[in-house]
Amino acid sequence: MADTIIQAINISKKFRSKTVLEDISFSVNRGEFLSLLGPSGCGKTTILRMLIGIEQPTSGRILKDGIDITHAAPKDRNIGIVFQNYSLFPNMDVYHNIAYALQAKHIDKDDIDRKVKEMVSTVGLEDHIFKKPKQLSGGQQQRVAIARTLVLNPDIILFDEPMSALDAEIKLILRQLLKDIQRKLGITMVYVTHDQEEAFALSDRIMVLNDLKIAQMDTPYDLYHNPADPFIKRFVVDHLDLKVRSIEDSIGENI
Amino acid sequence: MKSWIMRLGKTVRHEYLRLIAVICILAFALLPLLTLAFHVNGNDWQFILKDSSFKDAIKNSLVYTTAAALLTTFLALVAAYLLNTSGLRKKKLFVIALSLGMLVPTISVGLGLRILFGTNGFLDLLFGLEIEVRGYAGLIIGSVMTSFPATFLILYDALQYEDKGPYDAADIMGIKRISTFFRLTVPYLRIALISAFFACFTLIFSDYGMPMEIAGKVKTLPMYLYDQFMSSFQYGRGSIAGFVLLIPAVISFLFDLVFKDQSVGEKQKKLIGVEKSFDHVSAVIIVVLCVILFLPQLAFISLSFTKSFPNDLSFTFSHIANIFSNTHGVGLTQYILNSLKLALLTAIAGTAFAYLLGYLSVRKTGRMGKVIDLLSLATIAIPGLVLGIGYIFLFKGTNGAFYGTILILVVVNVFHFLGSPYLLAKNCLNKINSEYEVIGETLGISKGRIIRNVLIPSSVTSLVEMFSYFFLNSMITISAVAFLCSYDDQPLSILITTYEKNSNYEMQSVISLIILFLNVIARVVFTGINTVINRKSNMEVEGWIVLDRYEFDLLTYLEKNGKGVYSQRRLADDLTITLSNADKLVKDLAERDYINQLADGSMEISEKGLKALEPYRVRKAIILAAGFGQRLAPVTLDTPKPLVKVNGVRILDTLLDALYAKGITNIIIVRGYKKEQFDQLLEKYPTLRFIDNPEFNLANNISSAVHAIEQIDRCYICEADLYITNQDVINKYEYRTNYLGAKVAETDDWCFKKKNGILSDYQLGGTDCYQAFGISFWDGEDAEKLKTDLRKVYSMRGGKENLWEMVPLKIMSKNYRLEIRKCHKSDIIEIDNFIELIAADPSYARYPGYEAYSGASAK
Repeated sequence: MADTIIQAINISKKFRSKTVLEDISFSVNRGEFLSLLGPSGCGKTTILRMLIGIEQPTSGRILKDGIDITHAAPKDRNIGIVFQNYSLFPNMDVYHNIAYALQAKHIDKDDIDRKVKEMVSTVGLEDHIFKKPKQLSGGQQQRVAIARTLVLNPDIILFDEPMSALDAEIKLILRQLLKDIQRKLGITMVYVTHDQEEAFALSDRIMVLNDLKIAQMDTPYDLYHNPADPFIKRFVVDHLDLKVRSIEDSIGENI
Repeated sequence: MKSWIMRLGKTVRHEYLRLIAVICILAFALLPLLTLAFHVNGNDWQFILKDSSFKDAIKNSLVYTTAAALLTTFLALVAAYLLNTSGLRKKKLFVIALSLGMLVPTISVGLGLRILFGTNGFLDLLFGLEIEVRGYAGLIIGSVMTSFPATFLILYDALQYEDKGPYDAADIMGIKRISTFFRLTVPYLRIALISAFFACFTLIFSDYGMPMEIAGKVKTLPMYLYDQFMSSFQYGRGSIAGFVLLIPAVISFLFDLVFKDQSVGEKQKKLIGVEKSFDHVSAVIIVVLCVILFLPQLAFISLSFTKSFPNDLSFTFSHIANIFSNTHGVGLTQYILNSLKLALLTAIAGTAFAYLLGYLSVRKTGRMGKVIDLLSLATIAIPGLVLGIGYIFLFKGTNGAFYGTILILVVVNVFHFLGSPYLLAKNCLNKINSEYEVIGETLGISKGRIIRNVLIPSSVTSLVEMFSYFFLNSMITISAVAFLCSYDDQPLSILITTYEKNSNYEMQSVISLIILFLNVIARVVFTGINTVINRKSNMEVEGWIVLDRYEFDLLTYLEKNGKGVYSQRRLADDLTITLSNADKLVKDLAERDYINQLADGSMEISEKGLKALEPYRVRKAIILAAGFGQRLAPVTLDTPKPLVKVNGVRILDTLLDALYAKGITNIIIVRGYKKEQFDQLLEKYPTLRFIDNPEFNLANNISSAVHAIEQIDRCYICEADLYITNQDVINKYEYRTNYLGAKVAETDDWCFKKKNGILSDYQLGGTDCYQAFGISFWDGEDAEKLKTDLRKVYSMRGGKENLWEMVPLKIMSKNYRLEIRKCHKSDIIEIDNFIELIAADPSYARYPGYEAYSGASAK
């Protein structure tokens, strides 16, 4: 049995009268890369916001390492988050964006310096350390956002569609970076996306959401080969097949 | 249950703050209005409904306000439209000129008109034009002048967001401008026009400063109110008048609430369109408008320097000189200090409060946020006069503690002027990503810290604007303050009303002048701060770490001289700064890790320092080498002048070596005469690139510059015939555009002088001047200007006959503010003729055919 880090039990979420999630339960294994995949508006981001603690479930509980964190403050959860639009502090350079949280904790200056430089090299931004966010490309900004989260040594990092604003080529490079970081540091990553390919390229497991519920939660292999229902077949399998076929058509051979 | 309590606990602190904010606005802005109602009783109603002077006041106010508001809106529309479409340069300057009236109290405008017109007015005394304007005419003229700036700014701003595409399309279709004005501009501005009209109406309707001077026998509603309070002590009747005064303001507020798009921040300014050609008619109209609007100011400024108006119009400084003395019975120093103190306190408190309100209403949604938003905006509608009397009722009991102190003046000003700065804060915060606080939460950074370290630094320009608004308005306001200020706290603006009562024109004028003077200074300072901030942030976008001049000098100095022990004294001497500045500079740069101070007392530039210098690196050099070099004939009959050898070295090699030594290898040589000979340079300097100038024998060297024009950007432009003996005439980094010159006592060469730190007076021959050397550096804006101007001059009739440097140094010199980069005369040997060539290299004395040319070239 895999080592569980997060357990969500019978979670429901309503906004006023609108139900977004209905009685869902799942667990996240330590060190795995889990993607939340689904059409827009299916509640992926809501799950993420509940995991980080900026949104509370209407009912149900969330456990981390067996401890109830349903209503714990975000800062007490040791979970990091990376947003789609980076949200870097615009007036601080790369160095200080990463160092800021450490400075707020009054950590020793040399310690901060060491940690920040380590992070900067982990995400490959050594040449840009004194640049401000607006001097960086989107991909570089996202690297800073990742480093800013990583530097606090979180147990889990959540990603809210972090690459949807980026060029295809940059996406590939960043995906690789994420996988490298995950392998190197063994951090659990939960990744929200509406892009099937991305989910398949990155994940150990994928949770497909549809119609307020989890439609299927499985490895990419099982998802593709044993779709649980017609929705999964259409949304995942057919989509990927179509993609492959169109590539085959354009290069004129069978892959 | 538990979750509900926890959630409540989390939000309670925030809500608490919001609640306090709401209570504050209610207590200090709306409650005072309500108290008015408690002082009205049935008798007051009975009296006032029969009181013919009350009816007259309302009628008068409505008539002149309507007329003036219509006129103002029309004029403001015309001005805004013309300024936007006329292709005038320096639009900002005209905007400032047109809104100058905002810097003086309205009473001063009235004063100015009174001095200008009527019996013994300036117009009468100087031109015999005796026009009596007191009464309706004066009220209308005065109101137009006082309300024009604000109305104009509303419309001008609205036009900035209009799509210019349809105009260009109309232009191409040949539709007349007057038609596009009515078919495109007016419909587009419909809402803005009505809103501007209401704002203008409210402004005029509730103003009582200007009418004090110019109304003559016509009584206006604010004057009626003032009389009821200050002379008849009929508070109930005054309160009724106050409510009537509120009506247009409330209508205006409701209109804006319903119709106006509040999300100004989301819109993009649309300034891109076809560049309009200069339109003389528009220019004249705008200039005339500026002049007319400035006339009242001009009148009181003139009177401040007039010996004894109207009897003796001779010039005198004595009024100004007496400002700080007690000759007039009262020294003005105390009033100036009062004004500044009030304005500063209001600006500080107001900016902080308005920003807080902006934060509370923008961040996190919810009903409370909307309430704050609505209440803050509602304060725009409250006339100061009404607010002032409300404060009397509400706070009279706190005499000494609050009432009667400067504190109440600050508070009343803050709430009186709250609306506009609040809008600024709101728009600014709306533009700032709302996820920072969330990010902060997940990173364990408190909200307070995020506000302090992220939000406030990102809103500096808006904060300066807000501060400026509070400051300038506090300096000129009369309405609310007039009721509330104690004798000791009287600001300048109130003092004018005192002198108005005994018709002391000189003092009124001098005080108006002081207010204008202080406000102009304040405006310049605030604008300056924001210009610097904007420039800095623009540079950051381009990848600059912005250094100031001193930092730049020290870093390049260390970069050049390498690691070593540098005493403060040596730094101070070498960089020509003071000892204490050197000390401060080193400490500051060391703190920011731009330099490393090592244990052995030596220092060097750090990696970060080098990075900071990187944007200042000279990117390339353009060498103009197409010419024939007539005066070096006969040598140049075989060889282009740059390639002539002096003591065995080609002249051009000395320059190329210097460039290479400083790491500048991106070098472009513009060649023409015997161009193929330049190919030999590639052997020694493989990175050279050539641009051919086929016109070299038809045009002067401006043609070479024009052929390389696309290359001009952060580069040196060099002449090709400089024999360089000191490679330091070339730098690796340059701070800004400059021209090389050597200080000489006398020269018959081309030279320039230094005026206010800037190159000027470029001419042939001079004394105590800088001899010009043909090496200059071009950067950013200056490079862009140079490109435009070179093209312009080149295409002019006879333009091709110019030397390129005549364009920035002489023909178009007013477009540039060039620095002089100093070198020694001995750093560069100019070889202009054969005699000088022989002086540098005696072997040329034996050059075949030299005698035939020597006579001519020696001249």
